[in-house]
Amino acid sequence: MLNRRFLALLAALALVLVACGDGGGSDTTTGGADTTTGGADTTTGGADTTTGGADTTTGGDDELIVGVSWNNYNEERWARWDEPAIQAALDAAGATYINSDAGSSAEQQLADVENLISQGADALIILAQDGTAILPAVQSALEQGIPVVAYDRLIEDPGALYVTFDNVRVGAMQAEVIFDLVPTGNYVIIKGNQADANADFLREGYEQVIGEAVAAGDITIVGETYTDNWDPALAQTHMEQFLTQASNDVQAVLSENDGMASGVVAALDAQGLAGEVPVSGQDADLAALNRVALGTQAVSVWKDARELGTAAGEAAVALAQGTALADVEGTIQFDSPGGNSMTSILLDPVPITQENLNLVVEAEWISPDELCQGVEAGSVEACG
Amino acid sequence: MSVTELPPSETDEADGVAPSRRSLQSAVRSSEIDTRTLGMVALLIVIWIGFHFLSGGTFLSARNLWFLSVQFAPVAIMATGMVLVIVSRNIDLSVGSMLGFVGMAMAILQAEILPDFLGFGHPALWLIVLGAGLILGALVGLLQGAIVAYVGVPSFIVTLGGLLVWRGVAWSLASGRTVAPMDSTFQLLGGGSRGSLGEVASWVVGGLACLGILALLSYDRRQRKRYGFRLRPRWAVVTIAVVGSAAVLAAVWVMNSYYLPENLARQFAEEQGIPWPEGGLLIPVGISYPVLIAIGVMLVMTFIANQRRFGRYVYSIGGNPEAANLSGINTRWTIVKTFMVMGILVGVAGAVTIARLNAATSGLGTLAELYVIAAAVIGGTSLAGGLGTVAGAVLGALVMQSLQSGMVLMGVDAPLQDIVVGLVLVIAVAVDVYYRRRAER
Amino acid sequence: MTDRTPLVEMRNISVSFGGVHAVDDVTIDLFPGEVMALVGGNGAGKSTLVKTLSGAQRADAGEIWIDGAHVMIENPRDAKRHGIETIYQTLALAENIDTPGNMFLGRELTTRLGNLDDSAMEDAARKVMQRLNPKFQNFKTPAAHLSGGQRQGIAIARAVHFNARILIMDEPTAALGPAETEQVAHLVRQLKQEGIGIILISHDIHDVFDLADRISVMLQGELVGTVNKDDVTMDEVLAMIIIGKLPEEVTQAELSDLHG
Repeated sequence: MLNRRFLALLAALALVLVACGDGGGSDTTTGGADTTTGGADTTTGGADTTTGGADTTTGGDDELIVGVSWNNYNEERWARWDEPAIQAALDAAGATYINSDAGSSAEQQLADVENLISQGADALIILAQDGTAILPAVQSALEQGIPVVAYDRLIEDPGALYVTFDNVRVGAMQAEVIFDLVPTGNYVIIKGNQADANADFLREGYEQVIGEAVAAGDITIVGETYTDNWDPALAQTHMEQFLTQASNDVQAVLSENDGMASGVVAALDAQGLAGEVPVSGQDADLAALNRVALGTQAVSVWKDARELGTAAGEAAVALAQGTALADVEGTIQFDSPGGNSMTSILLDPVPITQENLNLVVEAEWISPDELCQGVEAGSVEACG
Repeated sequence: MSVTELPPSETDEADGVAPSRRSLQSAVRSSEIDTRTLGMVALLIVIWIGFHFLSGGTFLSARNLWFLSVQFAPVAIMATGMVLVIVSRNIDLSVGSMLGFVGMAMAILQAEILPDFLGFGHPALWLIVLGAGLILGALVGLLQGAIVAYVGVPSFIVTLGGLLVWRGVAWSLASGRTVAPMDSTFQLLGGGSRGSLGEVASWVVGGLACLGILALLSYDRRQRKRYGFRLRPRWAVVTIAVVGSAAVLAAVWVMNSYYLPENLARQFAEEQGIPWPEGGLLIPVGISYPVLIAIGVMLVMTFIANQRRFGRYVYSIGGNPEAANLSGINTRWTIVKTFMVMGILVGVAGAVTIARLNAATSGLGTLAELYVIAAAVIGGTSLAGGLGTVAGAVLGALVMQSLQSGMVLMGVDAPLQDIVVGLVLVIAVAVDVYYRRRAER
Repeated sequence: MTDRTPLVEMRNISVSFGGVHAVDDVTIDLFPGEVMALVGGNGAGKSTLVKTLSGAQRADAGEIWIDGAHVMIENPRDAKRHGIETIYQTLALAENIDTPGNMFLGRELTTRLGNLDDSAMEDAARKVMQRLNPKFQNFKTPAAHLSGGQRQGIAIARAVHFNARILIMDEPTAALGPAETEQVAHLVRQLKQEGIGIILISHDIHDVFDLADRISVMLQGELVGTVNKDDVTMDEVLAMIIIGKLPEEVTQAELSDLHG
């Protein structure tokens, strides 16, 4: 609380300084300040002024700045794929990229967003650690006329643009592959972090596919759990306990991501079941694709993060330039679990199985060497 | 302090046969068995039996106990080192992050660097990687310990910094990638399907352990005779020998009652050219390597704590740092060494963890510091320093892991698990403090 | 006495803490089999002075000679090597460690393989205690649970066992009752007969007159003077402590004022 008040004070001070320096200053600055005072209704008009300024002056002030708030770099994909894609999209539009990392702390992320704003961000892309805790910062940004893109994870504010892969779809794709292989039998479901809405979206996708079979008694769920922090080692322990409980009578495992799938496969391997019990995952982690090639994991749903990054980058630039939410290309309305109608860009993921491994190789997502390490020659098409 | 009450009787009542509580107390005292340890064991038995019924009879199955033993190994290994760190009035909050860092370094070394020179599957690969991990752990400990002891920054701060630094380094090493798979020999360190001793070797280890117990007891008795000290009553010695050996053999029996899963047994039969018998093939798995490593670490650390100068100095620093210094002990170097030992043990635990997961992720070991510290504290280590045993910490780790795995078996949700573990930690320490205070009166 | 070589000579020792002269150019000596009492009010610098001898404090200036040879004492280990043992006012013991452990702290007996030989240490501790305090039996009890006298006993036993030639006792009886004080006094006489030189720091002027052969008096970091016990009265020593005047300088009026 105190912190926020202090920042507000600082912001007010900055405004006063800007106003004082206005005498000989550039017009664009005033334009920007107008936008702020104009409020959300006039965002478009105000932002037009900014664009106009950009057209007429060549100073550094008017350059678009897009701030990205990462929740945590400690996951394989963000820095490797998403960040370069966002950067490329911004570079193409002539916008500047600034960023911050909250290190998995929801509190830290609140401060991060405020920092990005005070660094002059014209639009924000937020990968939320916690979609609810981030709300005050998002609201404050929107009130200041700074558009917000909710990146990959839902933020329950209809003012934000939600750019993501269709996570329910991801779950459904995982379940479709597994359900095709195992139409009847005992299933284990390893879900991700409880506080992450995606864990429930994915579960919803599972339900769409196997719900009927469960109700009909063809499929029995013999173990289902959330996993703190999506921690692979914890997923391994959970899987071991489920196998013990079910005396190995498990025919399929729905694991919500690849990291946890690695723990699940290790647990299955200890029972000699790796390769026999199909396991799902998502993210197309390199190690997971290798497992798909080896046959110990049935599917990894590939959300080409580069597509996501590009879409988010382009949308952020468009919003900063004053495009209205609903006018951003490719948007649809999406009813969130929190009852909001979110303007969203929902990208389609691709399920990667042994049959279409060549897709990830062709996209240079993974090198053939990495993909085929330890794979018997001739057993998988993509490995020759 | 004026003594108005009579202190607890110090007279030897071992010969008295009155069936009172008093005589039981003095009997236990004359046998020199630590009542704290007995209490811990009792707590563990209560937890186990409770879960056994609540889980519908799965908890005390050989299979669950086998997995429990593997799951508890990394925390137990680190807890033995944490005892020394805490006894010397310090703390190491960085062990979880260090595990991530050292584990990631070992993973990259074996999956990406060494194969270029040695080729995949080189027989010495695992040893080089493990050695490198231990050295790296020792160096990290040296660095942190030196800052604590020679620069004088409180260990809480140094290792809090380490918690952030090493996690960041772990991430930077692989830019957040998951590194997999591990070398096939290295994987044995994590247990898994082949990382166990098998039936015969397990019984041999058990037998050796029993002989070890007898040897220690007889050495103790000989020393006492030699110097003319009071001997433990014969019944006590015999009881310790019988109970100790029985516990060892029972543990081996449980480990040997977990049989190789059918699929692996079939594979084994194929490899050996044995026809698949009608009723299936029961191949005992035996003691897994991680458990063997944990037991080995526990014995070595107990020995260091009780029988080496270094251990004595650590306890003296915890008891009274000034007295230790005035006695001519190099207290600073001793502190540095405790952090180095901690680092080496993190290396061992890291190797076991990545071998078991067959992968290293940059989030490896997150929150492990809390479990390790909790294990040491539940095991009777006082955060004020000076008090704590290695064996207690291992028991503490076993209590923690039993709670966790038991609750998963029961299908308890993750948040409730955290609540229970947290409550047990506080209650266990509260009970301990209460009894210690009573004992001092 | 002057024809013999002193056991210890501390020459022109100075110690200052941030500009304050805790010990200012003090010279004292000690002969074998002698008890030299070091007295003075609070903050006179007695403890600081002897700490330079026991290695717990570095002197800023001055020299220490032992058996007529110049030595450097930079830490407690150096002091112990020269046969100097110290019994501290704070009874510096590791509270969680038993009697033999404390007696041998820093100088443990080990087996050939370098392992602690607890039995040998306990045996040695029992033997020394047999001489000093035969009633003591709590060899396995941590120091925290021992009485003040018993704790003092451990410190003295340590000095005896390691054949100390020079024993520094900093307020050895401050924490003790009358019976235990008498016990310590008895020990001091015993050690003295064995030829050990003892530096005794004490507040208790009666103790000092009871035990000491010579008395050195300090005031505000400086040495007032050193006198033979037999040549002075208690009042004269008190005058040295309080007003810093030697017996030959002090007037009758000043002496009677002391009791006023």
